[in-house]
Amino acid sequence: MKFLPLIWSGIWRKPGRSVLIFLQVCVAFALFGVLQGLKTGVEQLIDQTRADVLLVHGNLALFDPLPLALLEQIKSVPGVKVVVPVELFGAIYQTPNQKLGVVAVRPDEGWLSAFTFTIAPEYVAAFRRVRTAALIREGMAKKYGWKIGDHIPLLSKTAQKTGSTDWAFDVVGTYTDSDLGGGSDTLLIHYDYFDEARLADKGTVKHFKVAVSDPALAVAVTDEIDRRFANSANETRTESMRELAQSQLQSIGDLNFLIRSIVGAVLVALLFATATMMMQSTRERMPELGVLKTLGFTGVAVFLSILAEAMTIFVAAAASGLGLAVLIFPLAANIVPGLSMPLIVVAVGMACAVAAAAISAAVPAAFASRLNIVAALAGR
Amino acid sequence: MNFLRQSLALLRVGLSGVAARPSSALTVLIGVTCAVGALVSMLAMGAGARRQEMGAVRADHVILGKTGERPGQSDISKDESAVILGLPGIRRGDAGEPIVVFESMTFIEGRKRGTGTRIYFPVVGVTSTLTQYLPELRFTGGRMFHPGLHELIVSNPCAHQFTGFDLGDTRLIHGVAWTIEGRFDQGQAQQCVVYGDVDSIMSAFKRNTYTSVAVMLQSAADFDAFRDAVAANPALHLEAMHESAVVEDEFKQLNAILFFVAYFVGSIMALGATLGAVNSLYAIVDSRRRELATVRAIGFGPGPIVVSVMVESLLLALPGALLGSGLAWTLFNGVAASPLGYSIQLAVTPSLAATGVAWALVMGLLGGLPPALRAARVPVTTALRAV
Repeated sequence: MKFLPLIWSGIWRKPGRSVLIFLQVCVAFALFGVLQGLKTGVEQLIDQTRADVLLVHGNLALFDPLPLALLEQIKSVPGVKVVVPVELFGAIYQTPNQKLGVVAVRPDEGWLSAFTFTIAPEYVAAFRRVRTAALIREGMAKKYGWKIGDHIPLLSKTAQKTGSTDWAFDVVGTYTDSDLGGGSDTLLIHYDYFDEARLADKGTVKHFKVAVSDPALAVAVTDEIDRRFANSANETRTESMRELAQSQLQSIGDLNFLIRSIVGAVLVALLFATATMMMQSTRERMPELGVLKTLGFTGVAVFLSILAEAMTIFVAAAASGLGLAVLIFPLAANIVPGLSMPLIVVAVGMACAVAAAAISAAVPAAFASRLNIVAALAGR
Repeated sequence: MNFLRQSLALLRVGLSGVAARPSSALTVLIGVTCAVGALVSMLAMGAGARRQEMGAVRADHVILGKTGERPGQSDISKDESAVILGLPGIRRGDAGEPIVVFESMTFIEGRKRGTGTRIYFPVVGVTSTLTQYLPELRFTGGRMFHPGLHELIVSNPCAHQFTGFDLGDTRLIHGVAWTIEGRFDQGQAQQCVVYGDVDSIMSAFKRNTYTSVAVMLQSAADFDAFRDAVAANPALHLEAMHESAVVEDEFKQLNAILFFVAYFVGSIMALGATLGAVNSLYAIVDSRRRELATVRAIGFGPGPIVVSVMVESLLLALPGALLGSGLAWTLFNGVAASPLGYSIQLAVTPSLAATGVAWALVMGLLGGLPPALRAARVPVTTALRAV
C-alpha cells in the first residue's frame, strides 16, 4: 500500500508519454472489443437459437411450395407436438418503398411454441377470434402510426379470387420476435383466411413449423419426417432453427481468419510500441532507480514497481477501451440484428491487457531490477 | 535556400541517429505496417467484390424487370415476351433473331467441397440465345445444354466450390434427373451460376412467368431510345435498366458493409499507429535535446528543425506503408473469402496500395507534428546547461 504514491508518481513522471500510451492501449482494445464482440456475439446467437423447433420445407429449392396436405402426416410423426403451416409473401403499404413481409400462420392450440414470438395473451386471444386479424411488430406501429383497431390496406403481388391485389387486415395487437432472421417489418395474419381468399397456389405452404415435445427427440423427428416423404412428389428437408441460423451465419464465421489476423496485428503493434516506450523511460530513470536501490529497495521491489506502473496504465486503458467498444458496438453490429456485446469478450480483453502489460514491462523491469547501483547513479 | 540547406543538414543528422535508436524507429515502422496492412487487406475485399461483380457487365446489356420491383423477382408473362422481341434497337444474332434472353431464376441447394456446408445458389433457366448474349462465355468442357431436355451447364467456380458439378453428374429436381453437360468460364466473373433450358426449368418448378429478361443492344448508345420505347409501350409494365445498375443495386448492401468495415478498422488502427508514432518521435526528440540546442545555438532556425523532424517521420512511415501493402498482397491477394455468403477473391490492386501509402503519409505527418514543434521549442540555455 505504501508504494502506491511511488507507482503513481512513476506514471506521471512524463505525463505526455503516459497519456499517449494510455490512448494507444485504449484504441487497441476498443478495436479488439468490437471485432471479437462480433465474432463471439454471432457464435452465442447461434447457441441461443432453438434446436427444438424444426422447419420443414421443400427439399429442392428455397421457395418451392409444399402442399398443405402434408400437415396431417407430419403431425403423426412420434415426438411432434405442434405443426403450423406458414405462408410468406411481400406487400407494400401506400408507396413501393414501404415494403412489408406478411407471415400467414394457422393459430391452432399451442402454435406459439413453434415460434420465437412474444405476444401478450389478450392479443393472442384477439388474433384467434378475428379472421382478418393482423399482429404487427411494435416498430411498425410507430413507423406507420398504426393502432389497435385500424384497418390497414396493403398492396401485394398475390392476387385475390376477385383478381384484385388489394388486401386489408385489422390490427388486433403487437408482437416481438427474438429470431435472427425475423425481419423488422413483418405482420402475422391467418393462413386460412389468406388461403381461401387468394387466387392461385391454393392449399400450399412455404414451410411448416414443427415444435417437438422433447428437445432430445429433435434429430429423430427430423430424420423421420424426411424419411416419410422420401421418393414422393414432395420430398422435404427438415432442419432445426439452430441449423438454419448456423448456415445463415456461417458466412460471417468465414471472416474469422481476417478478424484473427487484424486482432493479432493490433496486439503485436501495440506490444512493440509499449515495450519500446517502457524500455526508453526505464533507461531515462536509471539515476532515480539507483537512488531507490541505495535506499534499500531490493531488485524484486523495483521489478514489481515497474510492473505495477505498466499494469495500472494498461488495465485502466483497456477498461476504457472496452467500455468504448461497448458504446460503439451497436453501430458496428447492425449487420446482424439482435447482436449484443458478450461480456466474456470484456473479460478476455481485460485478461489480454494484463498479459500485454506483463509482456511489455518484463524486459524493462528485469533490466531495472538487475541495475548496478554505482553505474545507475553515474547515469551510465 | 538557406532554409533548405539547414533542413537537409538536420535531416541527415537525424537519420544517421536512427541506427543508434533502432527500437523507436521500429515502433513507427511496425505500427504503420500493421495499420496499412489491415486497411489494404480489408479494402482488398471490397475491390475483389467489385471486380467480380462488374467482371461480366457489358454496356450493351439491358435488363428488363417489372416497374418498381427487383429484376429476378419479377413476373413477366409470355404475352409480354412477344412484345419485347419486337422492340427497336435490339442486336440481331447470326440467324437474324433478336438477342433476348428470357430468364427464370430459382435457388437450389449445393454442398461445399470439404466442409459439406449447405448453401443455396442460383439456377437460371435461359433461352438458347445465351451464348450470343454472353460472347465471353467459353466452354472448358462438355457442351451447351439442348433445349427441352433436363440438362445443366455450370460455371467453373461452382465446380471448384461445390460437389456434384462434374461433367456427367446428375442431380434430382422434383424426381427428374438433370445431367451436368457443360462447364464454362465467363470472363472475369467468379460467381457460381448454373444455366438450364428455361422451359424445362419453368415446368419443373411449375411456373408460367419469367423472372427477368436480358437484352443485348446494337450499341450502348441505343439505351435511351430503348428505355423510352419500353416505357411508351402500353402492353409492357416493364422498366429497362443498365446491367451495371442492376448489379450495383444487388450488391449495394454488401459493398456498403465492406466499405464501412474497412474504414472503421483502418481508421482505428491508423489512430493507434499515429499515437505510437507521436510517442516514439517524442522520445527521439527528447534524446536529442542537447544536439538540438547546440544547432539552435550555432544559428539554425526553428523552421528547418520542424521540417527535418516531419520529414524524418514521413521517411519512417513510408517503408511501413510499402511493407504493409506488400504483406497484404502476399498474405491475401487472390485468397477467397466469403463474407456474408458472397464468395469473393481478395484483390490487392495498385490503387489500394496507393491508398495505403497516402494513409501512411497522413499518419507520418500527424504523428510528426507535435514532436517537431517540441523540437523547435527546445530552450537553448537550459538544454545546454544540462550537459
